[in-house]
Amino acid sequence: MDKNFAARRRRDLIIAAVLAGLAALAPLFIKDVYVQNILILTLMYAALSQSWNILSGYCGQISLGHALYFGIGAYTTELLFTKFGVLPWFGMLGGGVIAALIAMGLGYPFFRLRGHYFVIATIVIAEIGLLLFQNWEWAGAAMGITVPIRGDSWLKFQFLRTKLPYFYFALALCCLAWFVTWWLEDSKWGFWWRAVKDNPEAAESLGVVVFNSKMGAAAVSAFLVAIGGAFYAQFLAYIDPESVMGFQFSLLMALPAVLGGIGTLWGPVLGAAILIPMTELTRSYIGGSGRGVDLIVYGALIVAISLALPRGLVSLFSRAKPKGATR
Amino acid sequence: MGLLYGLIAVGLALIFGLMDVVNFAHGEFLMIAMYASFFLFAFFAIDPLLSAPLVAAALFVFGAVVYLLVVRFAMRAKANAGMVQIFSTFGLAIVMRGLAQFFFTPDYRSIPQSWLGGKTVSIAGIFLPEPQLIGALVSILAFAGLYFFINRTDFGRALEATREDPGAVALVGIDKNRVFALGWGLGAALVGLAGAIMAVFFYIYPDVGASFALIAYVTVALGGFGSVFGAFAGGIIVGLVEAVTALVLPPSLKSVGIYAVYLLVVFIRPRGLFGSM
Amino acid sequence: MTALLETRGVWQRFGGLVANSDVSISVGRGEIVGLIGPNGAGKSTLFNLIAGVLPPTQGSIWFDGEDVTHMPAAERCQRGVGRTFQVVKSFETMTVVDNVIVGALVRNTVMREARRKAHEVLEFTGLAGRADVLASDLVPAEKRRLEVARALATEPKLLLLDEVLTGLTPTEAQTGVALVRKVRDAGITVLMVEHVMEIVMPLVDRAIVLDLGKVLVEGKPADVVRDPKVISAYLGDRHAVGA
Repeated sequence: MDKNFAARRRRDLIIAAVLAGLAALAPLFIKDVYVQNILILTLMYAALSQSWNILSGYCGQISLGHALYFGIGAYTTELLFTKFGVLPWFGMLGGGVIAALIAMGLGYPFFRLRGHYFVIATIVIAEIGLLLFQNWEWAGAAMGITVPIRGDSWLKFQFLRTKLPYFYFALALCCLAWFVTWWLEDSKWGFWWRAVKDNPEAAESLGVVVFNSKMGAAAVSAFLVAIGGAFYAQFLAYIDPESVMGFQFSLLMALPAVLGGIGTLWGPVLGAAILIPMTELTRSYIGGSGRGVDLIVYGALIVAISLALPRGLVSLFSRAKPKGATR
Repeated sequence: MGLLYGLIAVGLALIFGLMDVVNFAHGEFLMIAMYASFFLFAFFAIDPLLSAPLVAAALFVFGAVVYLLVVRFAMRAKANAGMVQIFSTFGLAIVMRGLAQFFFTPDYRSIPQSWLGGKTVSIAGIFLPEPQLIGALVSILAFAGLYFFINRTDFGRALEATREDPGAVALVGIDKNRVFALGWGLGAALVGLAGAIMAVFFYIYPDVGASFALIAYVTVALGGFGSVFGAFAGGIIVGLVEAVTALVLPPSLKSVGIYAVYLLVVFIRPRGLFGSM
Repeated sequence: MTALLETRGVWQRFGGLVANSDVSISVGRGEIVGLIGPNGAGKSTLFNLIAGVLPPTQGSIWFDGEDVTHMPAAERCQRGVGRTFQVVKSFETMTVVDNVIVGALVRNTVMREARRKAHEVLEFTGLAGRADVLASDLVPAEKRRLEVARALATEPKLLLLDEVLTGLTPTEAQTGVALVRKVRDAGITVLMVEHVMEIVMPLVDRAIVLDLGKVLVEGKPADVVRDPKVISAYLGDRHAVGA
């Protein structure tokens, strides 16, 4: 039994390494900038969704306000860079730390709330953040911040002539988020989170400090999402509140995990791999008419998958089933 | 304005209270209702005030159909039930927005003339007293009607009973699905009423629902999920807070006040003001 | 040597309702103590006070020589209080062994050891064959046993059992009784709440009868069942007759 378990863990790791290796080779064959763009976004959302999954999937605290942390990552990086000349790499870490601290600060009052009250509170706090940034003159208000162009450099994480560095960074971030999840899944925290999600009262009786568990999940989750936000800001070289803190980001972080399989190791990656290219393709091929067909297709798909496969797409693959799901 | 928020929220509260489902497509129901009254006006020159009952009736059917086609299955989900409900109604919202864009185009529309409006209202947030007054009146009537309906009629009692114990109700020979479908219809009809009135003040476009939906959720949660009276009270509070915030803060920040009050209330009373669940 | 568990003058009021009034009981090391009484006697309330779900309105609770009156449940578990729930609260989306690992993590921080401990406990409770099944797929009797297994994995000094034998078939109940004996033989003190007297009486060393929130009688099971006060408290209850 233990052997099976260890073997499964190792197998997951090997599959991930192979996939990452294949992905790393992809740019050799794919030269089209448009396609590269889609790949970068897919990897980014996979990473974001994986991070979201830690708090909402494993720990069961459904957040639809993660755009806040995404935006904080983006803004911390760009404000530090444009106002104080701090390199984006430090801004990125700083943004992650700030987001984690905010997540924990918010956790104090928020984690007392349950169910829909919690979900709505997360939406509301992200909206407040959005409105505040829209009115914060120093941070560019609704106009946003344009990242000054200083030429291609790894130091400033800025590239105009090629998208490849962004691609590799997104891949690395995706691998990091996956690996963190993989590692936490078989740790005290991973078990505590799943216990808290399933039954907080029973968890408490077994020595799990429920509140701390939620705080830990929130901090890890916010930190990783903020790194993603910082990346996105550098990638676009321009940010404004709506484009990094809008509600759609909260949704786009949640959807891949939900479609792929919430609270599972592979769900977010699988969901993002299907959802993001599909979103981009429908938008550019059907959406061009401006008549909303892309939305219809997209929405119908969400309804269909969430109704037909409540456990997500991973439930289709017996190999990738969540631990011990025997039915 | 608060009363209208209340009216939108009551529909949501009714659905939630009935079966513990939050309809994340609620804003889109509102959008449909606004379009309905717009087209009734544009093609048949029926004033929104007169078409309101028609719109409410249409939305009633629509709500019931949505329940039977989508929500019924979402409630049966064996795993991740809450998640399935959230995302299936979210998906539905996106589909409805897409359909609206497809059929109605993304253009902004407004009802230029109405007995209510008197003249074109150009900016959301500035109203003539007269339409506001009538809107408030309609809302109060609707609340009174709903109250009477839930407490005094057989169907109202069936709703209450089903909410309390669906299993027992089935034993007495009431079909749960029928009651729920009617509940959804009723919730949608209330939004329809609100939509018909709001079509007079606001521009109508496919995404219009989204801007009101969040306020509606906040309103319901503020009052306490499952409490119809709470939604009504929540609506009034939200309206007042919005008005006060507008005096103190720049207009672009007016929603912050509402959100802050929501957070404050649930931190003190995690189940909302009148919530019992 | 002091008692392992002691409640001193514990009161619990819910609004105007007094669920426990001036309850003082003690449980010695190595005992199996039955906490019994008719419905609404305040057994579950007392049980929850001891487990740390909520603090008493008045009075104090001592465990292993320490005042734990205001200690949260998680911390009490770390001190050595394990419990089950009357209405089973399994982690439904987790496998049986994962359920038990959660408990084992209290004393084993290394995953490998927690896992080994969990399998050991499953062996002990006779659930080894079901280790990789989802908790939601267990039959009710197995879920009860999983509750016990999970609590045992925390390596408690005191195991609180809340109606673990109620509602089982006679065969299942026999297996349950055997398990409780085995637990005691492993050196763990047991305090069990049961509504049905005839199941627990042969099992326990000592019985405490609660009625209307107060301790009615306390003593050897054979004496307790013959006590007229107990009989009248249970009168009308079919289990009193001939118990």
